[in-house]
Amino acid sequence: MKNKWLLSIKNSLLSIQTYFKEPRTKMVWRRKSSEFMLKLLRTILLFGLCFVILFPTIQQISMALRAPEDVNNPAVVWIPQHFSVENIKIAMVVLDYWKALLNTFKMSFITMILQLLSTSLAGYAFSRLKFRGSNLLFIGVIITIVTPPQALSLAQFLYFRSLNLIGKEFSIYLMSALGMGIRSGIFIFIFRQFFRGLPKELEESAQLDGASVFRTFWNIMLPNARGAIVTVALFAFVWQWNDAYYVAIFDVSTAEFPLLTMQLINAAENVYNALFYTGGLDLIGQNVWENPLFLALISNVAALLMMLPLLIMYIFVQKQFVESIERTGIVG
Amino acid sequence: MANLAQTNLRSISKSKGVQGYKRQKHIWAAIFLAPWVIGFLMFFLIPFVRSFYFSFFELEGTPEGIIKTFVGFHNYYYALNEQVTASTSFRVELLNTTLDAIINIPVLLIFSLFIAVMLNMEFKGRAFVRAIFFIPVILNSAAVTSALGGGDLMATLLEEQGINQIFDLEYYLLQTGMMPWLITFIVGLIDRIYAILSLAGVPILLFLASIQSVPKHLYEAAKIEGATGYEMFWLITLPNVSPHIITVTVYALVDTFLTSSVSQIISEELGYSDKWGQSAAMAWIYVTIIMMILLLMAIIAKAMKIGGSHYEE
Repeated sequence: MKNKWLLSIKNSLLSIQTYFKEPRTKMVWRRKSSEFMLKLLRTILLFGLCFVILFPTIQQISMALRAPEDVNNPAVVWIPQHFSVENIKIAMVVLDYWKALLNTFKMSFITMILQLLSTSLAGYAFSRLKFRGSNLLFIGVIITIVTPPQALSLAQFLYFRSLNLIGKEFSIYLMSALGMGIRSGIFIFIFRQFFRGLPKELEESAQLDGASVFRTFWNIMLPNARGAIVTVALFAFVWQWNDAYYVAIFDVSTAEFPLLTMQLINAAENVYNALFYTGGLDLIGQNVWENPLFLALISNVAALLMMLPLLIMYIFVQKQFVESIERTGIVG
Repeated sequence: MANLAQTNLRSISKSKGVQGYKRQKHIWAAIFLAPWVIGFLMFFLIPFVRSFYFSFFELEGTPEGIIKTFVGFHNYYYALNEQVTASTSFRVELLNTTLDAIINIPVLLIFSLFIAVMLNMEFKGRAFVRAIFFIPVILNSAAVTSALGGGDLMATLLEEQGINQIFDLEYYLLQTGMMPWLITFIVGLIDRIYAILSLAGVPILLFLASIQSVPKHLYEAAKIEGATGYEMFWLITLPNVSPHIITVTVYALVDTFLTSSVSQIISEELGYSDKWGQSAAMAWIYVTIIMMILLLMAIIAKAMKIGGSHYEE
């Protein structure tokens, strides 16, 4: 009886062994297991990194949702005892949120379009329309990338004052349209590298079909550089949104035309004054606003409010990063 | 359409074919570059030259205007030898930042390319994960930093409550009896993860976009031939992404310097109205150093044939 059992086990083991020894199954199993390991590793790594990024943000969101009276409450660690949107309301008042949001959006959007136009044209010329001296000019682009903005700030301010461009929204648009906006140099660089990567046959076949240089650029090269367009548009928008430097130099943000960054910096530097002048103090009691922690909390909530629209927009935009571009007309 | 093509063809052959196209190209190059050149001359070169000029002067801002006195190279001498802040000096920070940049950039490149490849794979919740990796890009803003910097108080409060650190890694590792130097290394590495991640936000997106623009049919052909993912990465993804490695390197280098204490010192000096000349001199030293590093990298890239497009020539 016992022998029979052993024998059958031995047999089945043997059959499993032969099953695994067969080269085909060996390969299938190896591939499957390596695929699984890859997935596991990827999940662990991405999860860990996401956690590292999210941890401080979640902390702030949890703080943001506390009732103002609970700021010092040591019993509250992660989940607020009294959920409250009071902090958010106050921060909105301090930032003049809706008005500033609209202005910031308008400004970021217009500069994004202008930057896209000027930098894509320049990038295309530097990569595809070469002429004698174009490499020398490109060194100029590199210098604009490398020079820190504050190195020019004084000279720039004096110069812009003499041109009477200070205090005008228009001056920011002018800079972007002329390829001198926020980090325009790096955008030109991105476009140049993308256009360089497109096959020469595209251009040649368009030329044979009789397309002009502009048509080749507009109808054939530009659609093929969609990756560059999406990237540049994204960065142009976000960096304008976050910009506090040019906006401060040109003194663009005013009471009639508030911008999120400047409002945020003012709020961060002196929350009490900001609360006082915007009437935010009336929303809360004295024992709350005398608490320095509460004031710090408000500036944190304000920062969250500034980031939030960008994050929401990005979730919609990131789909653009998904599809690979099918190059028109050319295979291999 | 066909008609239009024909007339265009005729016009091309009329203007001596290829020669005419070349001339057309030059004309369009001038048109395409016009906005940039105007902007460069008007908004960049003039302030740039002026700041160079300032760097040889002792400037003093007064209500009546700026008083200038010529001091020659003294500002440069001051920047390199005399300038000190409470805990450090311009020279020390410049040296540190340069070394940091040279060491960090290769790590950053490999890390961000690796993450970009992973984010390009298909898996559940990809949109969400991509959105999270975008957060550092948004957070990298002076305004947000100053607002969150006001949160030092919050940090101390959180520390009091003991949620600043979920568990003390160093203590835990010591308990396991590991070598102390290894523990310092691991803890240091983990501390740096956030710093690297916050620098890597933009490079990841740049790499992601460049991976996206690799023609799909290359991968399809490779798959039919039985290539593994590993081989496809080395033989297809990497060569196609390599022009963008240059872009990312330039960006990372500039960003490292821009967020370093060197640039902070320059801004601080600019804050004193009698030190504008010194600040300009420092900025010029800073620009020279970055240009030198870039030149070095360009030479290395040329020698190793990275970044050239295989479609050119």
